[in-house]
Amino acid sequence: MPELGELVHAAVAAAEGDEQVEAYAEEGRQTEVSALRAEVEGMTFAESRGLGVRVIRDGRLGYAWAADPTLDEAQETVWRARDNAALAEPDEHNGLPDAQPFAPMPEIFREDSASVSADDKVRMALDLERYAVTRDPRVTKVDLAQVGDAVSRVAIASTTGVDVEYARTDAWAVVVTLAVEGDETQTGFSFSITRGLDVLSWEPVAEEAVDRAVAMLGASKPPTTKVPVVLDPFAASSFLGVLASAVNAENVLKGRSLFADMVGQQVGSAAFTLVDDGRRLDGPGACPFDSEGLPSGRTELFTGGMLNGFLHDTYTARRSGAGQPSTGNAKRGGYRSTPGVGTSNFFVDAGEVTFDELLAKADGGVLVREVSGVHSGANPISGEFSVGATGLRISGGATGEPLREMTIASTIPEMLKGVAGVGSDLRFFSSVGTPSILIGEMTLAGV
Amino acid sequence: MLDRELVAEILAAARRKGGDFAEVFVEERSSTSIRLDDAKVEELTTGLDRGAGVRVAHGTTYGYAYSNRLDRDALLEAAAAASAALRGDAPGPVVDLTDRFGPGTNRAERAAGSLPAAEKVAWLREVDEVARVTSPEVIQVTGIYFDSLQRRLIAASDGRWIDEERPRIRLVAQVVAKRGDVIQTGWDGPAACAGIEFLDAHPPRVTAERAAKRAVAMLDSIPAPAGEMPVVVANGCGGVLFHEAVGHPLEADAVDKEASVYRGRVGERCASELIDGVDDATIANGWGSYDFDDEGEPSQRTELFREGVLQGFLQDRLRAAKMGVQPTGNGRRESYAHPPIVRMTNTNILPGKEDPDEVIRSTPKGVYVRGLGGGQVNPATGDFVFGVSEGYLIENGEVTTPVRGANLIGRAIEVMSAVDAVGSDFETWEGVCGKDGQGAPVGSGSPTLRISRITVGGTGA
Repeated sequence: MPELGELVHAAVAAAEGDEQVEAYAEEGRQTEVSALRAEVEGMTFAESRGLGVRVIRDGRLGYAWAADPTLDEAQETVWRARDNAALAEPDEHNGLPDAQPFAPMPEIFREDSASVSADDKVRMALDLERYAVTRDPRVTKVDLAQVGDAVSRVAIASTTGVDVEYARTDAWAVVVTLAVEGDETQTGFSFSITRGLDVLSWEPVAEEAVDRAVAMLGASKPPTTKVPVVLDPFAASSFLGVLASAVNAENVLKGRSLFADMVGQQVGSAAFTLVDDGRRLDGPGACPFDSEGLPSGRTELFTGGMLNGFLHDTYTARRSGAGQPSTGNAKRGGYRSTPGVGTSNFFVDAGEVTFDELLAKADGGVLVREVSGVHSGANPISGEFSVGATGLRISGGATGEPLREMTIASTIPEMLKGVAGVGSDLRFFSSVGTPSILIGEMTLAGV
Repeated sequence: MLDRELVAEILAAARRKGGDFAEVFVEERSSTSIRLDDAKVEELTTGLDRGAGVRVAHGTTYGYAYSNRLDRDALLEAAAAASAALRGDAPGPVVDLTDRFGPGTNRAERAAGSLPAAEKVAWLREVDEVARVTSPEVIQVTGIYFDSLQRRLIAASDGRWIDEERPRIRLVAQVVAKRGDVIQTGWDGPAACAGIEFLDAHPPRVTAERAAKRAVAMLDSIPAPAGEMPVVVANGCGGVLFHEAVGHPLEADAVDKEASVYRGRVGERCASELIDGVDDATIANGWGSYDFDDEGEPSQRTELFREGVLQGFLQDRLRAAKMGVQPTGNGRRESYAHPPIVRMTNTNILPGKEDPDEVIRSTPKGVYVRGLGGGQVNPATGDFVFGVSEGYLIENGEVTTPVRGANLIGRAIEVMSAVDAVGSDFETWEGVCGKDGQGAPVGSGSPTLRISRITVGGTGA
């Protein structure tokens, strides 16, 4: 089995004439164990490798990929990508980046995580489930109690001098509890991600999943009205995908972003700052370089509500002109897809207000703890959204009765303008993070 | 793809600790995807994927290991890893592997792989041209063409050996229209398990025109109303709603975990008596169709509701064995990289008797939904939400102004019980359903339906 470095070098060596070739190889090992009713529910071991090749010839881009190729197949992948390029249209902005120096990030690879054996993982999953179902008499079962970890490596090489490799480890625990009272059932979700299972503290995950389910028991449907809304980090993070799409330079260039003509404008309130930072180590999206091999960096997209610019890869930077550099935001879903603009650690910067202070400012409003249907109910092009929500009534600076079967609706610009306070409780969910956020007013629909 | 002797050896290795059964799933998939955006063919990608997964099950406990290496060493390693999930120490037997043949539900007349890529590119150019001439307000068009051929081998310790090919084809048009500051989008994307003959029945120009007209129609839209009201759901859209709100809680894994609102309610009325619903993987060339599911169980048509009375659940092997019922052929997986889970196939509400126009005419005031952007359900509580991608006001029995930014929210049993009219028309919709991190191609279908009362979430009056 060839090393990743050998694979990408073999592919690049198959370049012909003045064409540009870039090879991206990755491999990963992943284990997941879930527990149910004090037994192992499922245990999955995964091992995968693959190679993706971009060929750019006369401005035409072709792509091909192969799972677990031999060195010969790596070359054949280049040939297929070349054939595909011949059918694409030329675009003067297609081109590979020149190599740039980057600082390695050894912190994201945790050697000790390998010391956690499969038996340890099984025990951890069983402990996690048992702990979750023994916290509260109303929570005696889970929908999901799972721990998992992964080791992955990436190598990229190109005819323009890129030749980089890195490795990372990730570990996570996730719990969905079921709280039952009478004939009513409510669910509670919690999640945590770290660099290794040996440093993962799973008890708080179970505790939070229990608390969030129990708090929803007895929920009713509220009347339709306009109220102040506090989004907790779970709920607020659900909107970050819509924002990521709108600050993606590819969408901007193609007329698919509501922010397209707003650079330099005060779009949001002064409390709103939005950042992408691939070098922030407490974010799970940390990586030394992006999917084209360019160094990761920090990009402040909104500062105090002012839109500064967008996230770029090499293509969008070249197409934007005016000396726009790539922001190191070329990302890909894996070796099967071409790189495109994406986020690394994408987060709303923390404010200085505590969660309780936010509640105090939202009297008569609602604390939204979960939103659903964002992928279909929010339009990143028009900025309109209407999503399902559950949460708790806020009165006298504290949370009260649970609410369900309601929707919150607004537009992204109105919501950003309406940000009246940002909490200090920034929390990352996978590679997106946010603190609690107070929105001055939103339409809440129920009865 | 692999010879029987090797597969039998792997199955035997996987049963070293016994268990109820062991299974090997091998897959080879070639695919072509072409993306036209911004009036240019931006990307043409071909992929070759292959890999194998080994599963061992005991009760509802399973171990699963996969690799995209197909050599003997890698497969035996996967068998050893998967069997580590079990506690037993008595090896289980492997029955002689014997072919099982299906009816050929997804036969392709003209294989997409045999067509030069240049002709596929030409379809996308047509999409771009047609969408742009539909209206001067169309500012952006994305066309996506996709085809794949998946060859799967499923073998298990009970002797099943199934080799099945699944061809897939899809053509999608996404259109952006703009007037002043208002930007709206439209989408259409027919899909099937078929060859390129599918595009004779669903020509690219029709797909392009539909997407463009939807985007342009929504430019006139006003903010959607908020609150409870009657909603008429157009034919096709109701299937998406049925899939999401009702289908997911009927999946036996949710039922087994006591995380389904339908648990213990088989034989009870859980929907309006106007509702007959099925999950049907036997529809010829359906997007969610197959001969055998990904556990090697034959596909079938499963009755879910008869006159609103719940008939049963969707099963895979593990859940069916536990509940003491027959599997329904609903064990599916995204690829060799995923263990099978309970999934829907083509989930349909069957047509009723009413004239669909009359359903609208007899609604004095409400919302008409002609496009749903997909949705989400919590199977344990039955709470669901859907984004409305194309909606209109109904005023005095007529469809009038388009509305934007709407969604529908409700609870499965209450909403399905509130259906008070079912049309005689029928339309399907194809999508990709996500569950437990796995995507599955699913079809859904319905006639025109009226829900007498449901919460519409919008910002308007």
